[in-house]
Amino acid sequence: MLAVVPFLLAGVAACGGGGAGADGEVAITFVWWGSDGRANLTKQAVDLFQQRNPKIKVQTSFSAYAAYWEKLATQTAGGNAPDVLNMDGRYLAEYGGRNVLADLNQGPGKSISLTDVNPELAATGVYQGKRYAVPWAQNTPAMIYDPAAFTAAGADPANGMTWDQFADATQKVSAASGFSVRGATDFGILDTALEIWLRQQGKQLYTPAGKLGFTADDLRRYWRLAGRFRDAKGVSPADVTSSYNTSPEQSPLGKKLTSSEFAYDNLLPAYKTASGKALSVAPYPGDASGNNGQYRRPAMFLSISARSKAQEAAAKLVDFLINDPDAGRILGTDRGLAPNLKVRAQLAQGATGNDKTLYGYESALEPKLGAAPPVPPKGAGSIQKLLQRTYEEVAFGRMSVDDAVSRFMSEAEKALT
Amino acid sequence: MMTTASTLRRGRTARSAGWHLVCLAGVAVVLYPLVWLGFSSFKPPDEILSRLALLPSRFVFDGYTKGWEGAAGVGFGRFFLNSFLVAGLSVVANVLSCSLAAFAFARLRFRFRGALFAFMITTLMLPYHVTLIPQYVIFQQAGLVNTFVPLILPKLLATEAFFVFLIVQFMRGIPSELDEAATIDGCGVYRTFWYVVLPLSKPALVTTSIFTFIWTWNDFFTQMVYLNDTEKFTVPLGLRLFVDTSSQSNFGAMFAMSALALVPIVLFFLAFQRLLVEGVSTSGLKG
Amino acid sequence: MTTFRAPDPVVAKVSVPFARRSGRPGGRRRTSRPEAFVFLTPWLLGAVALTVGPMVVSLYLSFTDYDMFTSPKWVGIDNFVRMFTDDDRYLQSVKVTAIYVLVSVPLKLIVSLLVAMLLNSRRGANGFYRAAFYAPSLLGASVAAALVWRALFTGGGPVNELLASLGWHTPSWIDDPKFSLASIVLLGVWQFGAPMVIFLAGLKQIPPELLESASIDGAGALRRFWHITLPMLSPVIFFNLVMEAIHAFQAFTPAFVIGGGRGGPADADLFYTLYLFEVGFQDFKMGYASAMAWVLLAVIAIVTAIVFRTARLWVFYEDAEAR
Repeated sequence: MLAVVPFLLAGVAACGGGGAGADGEVAITFVWWGSDGRANLTKQAVDLFQQRNPKIKVQTSFSAYAAYWEKLATQTAGGNAPDVLNMDGRYLAEYGGRNVLADLNQGPGKSISLTDVNPELAATGVYQGKRYAVPWAQNTPAMIYDPAAFTAAGADPANGMTWDQFADATQKVSAASGFSVRGATDFGILDTALEIWLRQQGKQLYTPAGKLGFTADDLRRYWRLAGRFRDAKGVSPADVTSSYNTSPEQSPLGKKLTSSEFAYDNLLPAYKTASGKALSVAPYPGDASGNNGQYRRPAMFLSISARSKAQEAAAKLVDFLINDPDAGRILGTDRGLAPNLKVRAQLAQGATGNDKTLYGYESALEPKLGAAPPVPPKGAGSIQKLLQRTYEEVAFGRMSVDDAVSRFMSEAEKALT
Repeated sequence: MMTTASTLRRGRTARSAGWHLVCLAGVAVVLYPLVWLGFSSFKPPDEILSRLALLPSRFVFDGYTKGWEGAAGVGFGRFFLNSFLVAGLSVVANVLSCSLAAFAFARLRFRFRGALFAFMITTLMLPYHVTLIPQYVIFQQAGLVNTFVPLILPKLLATEAFFVFLIVQFMRGIPSELDEAATIDGCGVYRTFWYVVLPLSKPALVTTSIFTFIWTWNDFFTQMVYLNDTEKFTVPLGLRLFVDTSSQSNFGAMFAMSALALVPIVLFFLAFQRLLVEGVSTSGLKG
Repeated sequence: MTTFRAPDPVVAKVSVPFARRSGRPGGRRRTSRPEAFVFLTPWLLGAVALTVGPMVVSLYLSFTDYDMFTSPKWVGIDNFVRMFTDDDRYLQSVKVTAIYVLVSVPLKLIVSLLVAMLLNSRRGANGFYRAAFYAPSLLGASVAAALVWRALFTGGGPVNELLASLGWHTPSWIDDPKFSLASIVLLGVWQFGAPMVIFLAGLKQIPPELLESASIDGAGALRRFWHITLPMLSPVIFFNLVMEAIHAFQAFTPAFVIGGGRGGPADADLFYTLYLFEVGFQDFKMGYASAMAWVLLAVIAIVTAIVFRTARLWVFYEDAEAR
């Protein structure tokens, strides 16, 4: 029994959690979320970084999205936050607003260059005047759809549709399969779809002051719109809708129960593998004027822990990951498009397959893309789930739209204070 | 005479056949989901989550080959080894520490016994989510995060009151005449524990071993919080590396390795349940 | 000759672990054993170093507003008041958990006892059956288990088809608010291996001579079960009841993995600890979560204390000194 103790303790020396060694060597920890494939790419990029910076040792760790946040919260609360960490817009205010993250406009963080990043994209990651994060990739909300099904119904989503045309098309797609495969996954539960729809009306999900950017009446109209689709059986039935989770494989489109779904463009390959169909991406339906509310979305961010003892090395790694052409080539489009426009342009030239679709989609859309909305306020993380469960009450016919809307508004206000 | 004997035998055979029939029916219902899991591990990627039929349209072994390669350059075999180490040590630690504490509670009188026992049961009632962070801080201060110590040390210190309580209940089922007799024969408390009570508690100790092994093998949350390096990951952590809700997942590998991960615990269970069968009746407790 | 007597549950004065024995007339007083603390050393060390501290911290936090990253702020009993006056989801989680405890615990205990009785024989292939019935519990509450369960109960899945052939058309169980909790109860019951093994171990401790002599005396199977097996098994039944109840109150993982981390369709599976976890780790309200945890502890403690109290009426211990 005792013989094992040294073995168990062997790991202790290795984990120093950021700090300078005797010979100028620095060790930093770097964590991200994602799957195995993404980890392989990221580790390759980190290896390259270590080759170029032999004095910096990077200890990496990754987990799936949900586990990532549980673990990060525990580590941070325990005073053991990693030096460089993957950040999501949804959690930026929670962490940044509580002094967990370093202000990258100050100190070593200033060395991270954003000159080649689209200025509107670069402006994201700033919360209450402080830069807590830099965008690591850009993606765009998109409709992932089955071209075969929509063409058969006489629709062409690729060139943009109005909501009325979309309603018509989904109904036809559903009817073509005898309503077993619906035209679209019910979008009433999706906060991303609500956000785009609001932007098409000149509104937003959250105001810069951190309040809801829409009224009960807006939400009522949105859910009535979804209701029209539901009544026409253009979208998934309630028990399919409620099975939705963000994983492409587990979503109705991935499970071949619908023919389109609102998601992000960089998820196209995952949806294709899951469904086994030749899916493609199209912009959101919009109004007749062609304003479709889409924007350059920071798919995710990189942040540096405020308590990191190796901020310079950390900043170096962050700069490398977003600006280095070789890093950009290794990371590809897995997280979205490279934030650095020069790197992106280089990569777009040689793109093939899914990448080509992606670059084509974003460059065609580029002139229409607006600036990203402000960082969602503290408590915004729970709004997505709130929207989902109140809409489920409507979809299952357990609550009227009016009651669900008022429940949503009162709970949302509580969550955002 | 002859006729009664043969009807008796025939009756016994019939009853035995009936017993097997009932058992098999139960097994069929209970095992169906596992069989489904097994077949799913051979389904091609676009059928794994969408095909409702039991059998795949064609058998694909990618899940096993890709899965065994592991994740991020660490082979799945490594996860197995780590899990074996953690689960194995946990079994030894738990059986030792919990039986010691249980003996005191079940067999000895001492001050504050009732209060301490009540406290021990109380520790079971608090959801671990709220003690996780303080505990993490303790191990973090001790520099033990990212080692196996936070996973095993608590078991060496009998913090799993479930098992203490379990063994207490079994020890109380052992007639007190036995250890009283042992004491009269001049056995000290320690010898009574070791030579009389412990051997008689075998079913409880076997149960403790089985549960500790399996529950440690399957535990996700603690291992997720305390282990950082992929090289130190255990099977449950390795399995989750295949699945991520925000990017592309490999459900085939996850199913395949989930099926494979059942093999060691099935073997462990089969090996130990045999001891469970022997139980008290063969351990020399016949009056 | 056997040292055992068939116990009469009504006559046997039963002691429970909480009971104070010294004051009981007729009870033999054993002398206090200081050696006990030698046996208790590992447990005491663990309790002091790893259990008491974190428990005290969480108790303190339950009276604070604590977001995990900045210092806790004392708010008195605010959290507790808010729970019962201004949080509909909290009440929903209480409802879901209460239903789960009341339905799944008896169901699981009955199933596991029946199967354990069935398997407590010396026939061939016993090890196989035992392993087969335990197998679902080997899977734990993993992602794979959740996906399998989902596949079985989804629309058009095997369970739906079976019910439809009997004329009962149901939606996807997992995803419909009316059926969702039932599917999780079934998952909990399906994994009945742990209480089954404990019952089996308990059954093994019953000396076969007892049942044989009763059989010779002409007692039927039902009578033997009622007068010998049940009383002899009562400490184990008691244990399983207490532990399964505590586990059910704290049920987390099945709903967590099946619901993908949320409380199921329209909060139909919002278990108490699931909500607690969401509040603590996703909404960063660890103070509120700690308060919830201590309310749960209080409820479980009361329920357990009641079970312990009633135990003296129906639990028989071999070491009960008052005979």
